[in-house]
Amino acid sequence: MPISLLSLPIADLQYALNCMDVSDLIAFSLCSKRTKNLVKSSNREIESISAKVDENRVRICIMAEIYREDANTRYYRNVVFKLFDSYIELHRNCGIEVWRKQEFTQSHWIAHILSIFDKSMIEELQICQACPIPYLDTVKKIILKCQKLEIRDRCPNDFAKIAISKLSSLAVEMVEINKNIFDDENDISKFLTLNLTSVSLCDHETPFKLKLEDLLTTNIAKLIIRTAIITEKELNRFVKLWIKGSQRFCRLEYIRLHLEDGIEMNRQEVFKGVKYQVTEDLGNLFALTRQDGKELRGSIEGTLILLLFR
Amino acid sequence: MSSTEQGTSSAAPAEPTTAPESAAAPEVPESFYYVHGKDKVVHKVSAGALQHSALIHGMISNLGYTEEQAKANPFPFENIDGDILQMVVDWCNQHKGKPTPPEDTNLPKQKEKLFDLVLAVNYLEIKELLTYCCKQVAMMVKGKSPEEIREIWMIPTDAEDEAAEKEAKKRAGKEAAGETAAAAGDAK
Repeated sequence: MPISLLSLPIADLQYALNCMDVSDLIAFSLCSKRTKNLVKSSNREIESISAKVDENRVRICIMAEIYREDANTRYYRNVVFKLFDSYIELHRNCGIEVWRKQEFTQSHWIAHILSIFDKSMIEELQICQACPIPYLDTVKKIILKCQKLEIRDRCPNDFAKIAISKLSSLAVEMVEINKNIFDDENDISKFLTLNLTSVSLCDHETPFKLKLEDLLTTNIAKLIIRTAIITEKELNRFVKLWIKGSQRFCRLEYIRLHLEDGIEMNRQEVFKGVKYQVTEDLGNLFALTRQDGKELRGSIEGTLILLLFR
Repeated sequence: MSSTEQGTSSAAPAEPTTAPESAAAPEVPESFYYVHGKDKVVHKVSAGALQHSALIHGMISNLGYTEEQAKANPFPFENIDGDILQMVVDWCNQHKGKPTPPEDTNLPKQKEKLFDLVLAVNYLEIKELLTYCCKQVAMMVKGKSPEEIREIWMIPTDAEDEAAEKEAKKRAGKEAAGETAAAAGDAK
């Protein structure tokens, strides 16, 4: 008598699926449309899904909890596979397995994975190192959207700039650059005019030099820079221009600047000639309101400058 | 009808020797019930062991059998193969009144037996055993490729699924047409 898994009562079938590791579940989902739908309806949660671009290949990394019903401690495992048209290479059990699906392009593989884990997009797209420039266009076609684009520190500056110009529009939440790629003063100004929601620039060895113009022209809603170089005088001019209610700053929601170790801002200098309130009971916060009712709040403590615009 | 005696060894209560008089609870004799599968082989099982099965437990509560009545009327499970029912009875006896361990290594490894066991256990509503069986089913494909999983679990291709669906629709259409014709005939 032929016996198939799909002839089990649905509750038992779902329980069996719940006991499976994520890589086995993906394999099962690839058997047919019906198995794909079964995996979808199992509502398996994954911790994260990211795409990494190395040389000229996209790797998909899924981090998921290992099934252990009786354990109190949570264990996670990464499932990693390289994308190709019509097949994927899965790194598992110290070896490489090839799973084929003739009709699948690289986009299909991603769409399939996102669909079975009920994700609308890749959470993080990491550009790990330089790849041929035309391949960035391929990446753009494969990964339609991501929450965060990250440019890693191994990317050469010129390549990183091209990668940002080509891929930053994919990031719906944040662009993170883990290297100071800006060779001259104009570079960072130009970058800050991009229409991005949230940007994090991070380099502890080569700090990002900021000028008043950079802050005035920024079109980014949330800006985090670690480590930044800016003078009290320039911040003072920035605050004064903000009080005047210039047409600029309309998008700014917050700026967080981390200065170099040992360099501390003098708040008195930053607010020289400006009327402001200090609420010492709330961690030394300052607040000032301009004529149109908009508020600037924040704190300048040690090497951290936080400005919140409301 | 042949008969096997199951769980009888646990039926004899141990003699209390050192327990103080005030702590000694009156011994309640354990009651036994009888079940048989497709092969008609009757298995004697204690009420304690049968508590694992929500279905049988419910039947016992509703029927209120005396031991004599129970012996004369074994619960029939014609949809369960004899060897599978034997496995279920053995498991219930082994785990009578004990906390269930997280893993059970005594379950069958053969695919057909395991699937039959899942169906039987699902029918008898033995939750813990069902959990073990489903885990075992999942383990069958651990580390396997889609092609291997398709083979192990006999998963039809999309084309086969579509063909089966078409066939089912066709059959349903024919049946509906037959019923309509019969109703029209009756009306005449």
